Amino acid sequence: MANDTSDFTRSMGIATSGMRAQAGRMRIISENIANAQSTAQTPGGDPYRRKVPTFTSELDRTLDARTVGLGRVRPDMSIFPTRYEPGNPAADAAGNVKVPNVNSLVEMTDMKEAQRSYEANLNIISATRRMIQRTLDILKA
Amino acid sequence: MAISDMPMLSALRTKMQWHQERQRVLAENVANSDTPKFRPRDLVEPKFDKVGGPAAGGGMGQLPMMRAQGVNISPAGASATFAQNNRVGYETRPAGNAVNLEDEMLKVSANQMDFAAASSLYSRSLGLLKTAIGKR
Repeated sequence: MANDTSDFTRSMGIATSGMRAQAGRMRIISENIANAQSTAQTPGGDPYRRKVPTFTSELDRTLDARTVGLGRVRPDMSIFPTRYEPGNPAADAAGNVKVPNVNSLVEMTDMKEAQRSYEANLNIISATRRMIQRTLDILKA
Repeated sequence: MAISDMPMLSALRTKMQWHQERQRVLAENVANSDTPKFRPRDLVEPKFDKVGGPAAGGGMGQLPMMRAQGVNISPAGASATFAQNNRVGYETRPAGNAVNLEDEMLKVSANQMDFAAASSLYSRSLGLLKTAIGKR
């Protein structure tokens, strides 16, 4: 073996990195949902722009394994929908207000997916723990 | 001959090592289930010959140690490297990711159960040895 880290430790480390990445994704999703109504402060200005998390596969040198990490958080460059609301302080000359390009439905489905991936990684940890327990049980034989 | 070099125990040890390494590969697949362009991997199952040694072409990825006479022994606890199987995954999502979470979870539970079976067999074999040397 290349180093002293056992495969079980690596499995745990990899699953932990997956959980960390999914938790970061959840943070960005909650940011998007919280800002679903955040319009600009100035007339005609841009409102909150939706953020999109990215994942990258990276080589963890201490673990000697391919872990996953949250990559750069990119802005969603799709156009802002507008709403006619002349009384709003953010309304432009024609009375239209740009609203954030956040779709709550999309965010909720993304959140469910992040939750499921998180649980899958958690399952890996419990399975690995049971396997370690079985190995230790050999000592009792 | 060390106790762990007995054919039965060494075969079980190799199998347990294989399950351990497979668990790592499966953990990689699950952790990267959202990474673009990630292709899942798996290991080729080891095959054993009649006496519990690694069979030729059994996916061990390593040449079996040849014995000139019966006196040469293989190092105890030598780690075998296992062959990778890259042709897994049957659907690729538009982002280029081919990890199927259900499939991976199925493999993880199968891996865990097979490991439990191998480790039980290992402790039973040790118990058998204890009985043979007269300990109750």
